[in-house]
Amino acid sequence: MLCEKCKKRTATVFYNENINGKTRSYSLCGECAAKLREKGELQDITSMVGSFADPFSKLHDDFFGGFFGIPAHTGIAKAKKCPVCGTSFAEIAESGKIGCPECYETFADELANSIHSIHGTTSHTGNVPARHRAKQQRGEKLKKLKQELKDALEKEAYEHAAELRDEIRKLESENEKEEN
Amino acid sequence: MAWYNTVGKSTDTVVSSRVRLARNISGYPFASKLDAAGANEIIEKVGTTLESAGFRKIAFNDISPVMATSYVERHYVSPEFATKETPHALLLQETGGLAVMVCEEDHLRIQSILPGLALGEAYKNASRVEKRLDEDFDFAYSERLGYLTHCPTNLGTGMRASVMMFLPALSMGGYMDSLAAQLSKIGLTVRGLFGEGSGAAGSMYQISNQITLGITEEETLKKLEDAISQISESERRARNSISGENLERLTDRILRAEGTLKYAWRMSSQEFMKLFSDVRFGIALGIVKDISYEQLGTLLVEVMPATLTLNAENTPKTESARDRLRAQKIQNTLSAPAQP
Repeated sequence: MLCEKCKKRTATVFYNENINGKTRSYSLCGECAAKLREKGELQDITSMVGSFADPFSKLHDDFFGGFFGIPAHTGIAKAKKCPVCGTSFAEIAESGKIGCPECYETFADELANSIHSIHGTTSHTGNVPARHRAKQQRGEKLKKLKQELKDALEKEAYEHAAELRDEIRKLESENEKEEN
Repeated sequence: MAWYNTVGKSTDTVVSSRVRLARNISGYPFASKLDAAGANEIIEKVGTTLESAGFRKIAFNDISPVMATSYVERHYVSPEFATKETPHALLLQETGGLAVMVCEEDHLRIQSILPGLALGEAYKNASRVEKRLDEDFDFAYSERLGYLTHCPTNLGTGMRASVMMFLPALSMGGYMDSLAAQLSKIGLTVRGLFGEGSGAAGSMYQISNQITLGITEEETLKKLEDAISQISESERRARNSISGENLERLTDRILRAEGTLKYAWRMSSQEFMKLFSDVRFGIALGIVKDISYEQLGTLLVEVMPATLTLNAENTPKTESARDRLRAQKIQNTLSAPAQP
């Protein structure tokens, strides 16, 4: 992951800035961070990670421990628990391991920075499971049909609207069936 | 035929290629929160699907530690998996180098390991198994984060592609540290023979992708392949640049290693790894002529402590008996005529 300031060197310093309740995270290399610190533009350093460039270190484990182990800056409630598996954020912070798939939703905000620091991004671009692909396609089709239904009603084409409504119900019941 | 006793592409610099996909099944917590009943249920269900696809199921809780370790030596399971106490199983199909660890760090670790440089094929093999499982199981997945994994380091594609490289010349020249630093800048990692934390035995290094989120499977493979071909070229250049007195000295060392490997009465596994590296280097340089990559590769697994013990007619009871057995095994393997 590259430094967002010079876009040349590897980022080794990660910090969060909290202005009026709005959080932004930065990833910088040591040099750019030092420059900003001199200028007094970098104050709220919540974490400094130096092991990123060392490929032989047990990078992620150490990194996680260090990253999560820092005092929370945005008032993260360490007592918050996942409603499905009961894992608390403190547990995740200590082990670096997530409790269950639902934890990723429950602790989405708390995890965002670390995920960004590991991967340099927080959004997936690779393969999609077959079921999900089908659901995505159904979702897109539903959106299109609902628009068509609206148009049909406006034009008072009630027969066509009835057909569209049936088609929408069918897709929605497929979605429900899949979810159950 | 397995990855270790067959020759693949770029054998002079690449020992094997591996692709593994991490998947978890919706409706169950991840491994550290999964109880024995849940784990057994997953093992049962996944076993049913994969046994019908020609896989063999090995219930790891029921096998001896020496047998479990022998699967580590064949690189089908991780050292952590071999010693786990909670329910876990391996589903294996040796043709295609396919091994699925069930209830490791993730519910499923689908991997394909092949000889030589064969990342594309390894990905295809692992993918085929993944697709078969995708038909029967609902994988934990989010549109934003991709496949959800126990450790966030595997989020996204859940794919780790790695190539085991044989780099004696770069290693001798002291280039490995700077190579590792360069690779880390482009999101690749270098590790020793048996993965995380293990030393680089026998000049063998595992090079793999570090990032799994925000990059597609194809992009990851391409990036790794490009790096591997560049490293292979550097290694070959470094080999060609050895000349004069250095070459004389190296030739002497290699031929002594060959002699020791062929005639020693006893041999420890550490000594074997060192000799392995020198002799493999000798084959690549054309100095060692009557030992093949296949013979040496077979030994790389078969003289390791657990596999050696497992295949012995009489279990060696002491360290020295085992070292004697290892020397015998090496002699028997090498005295068979080398395949051209």
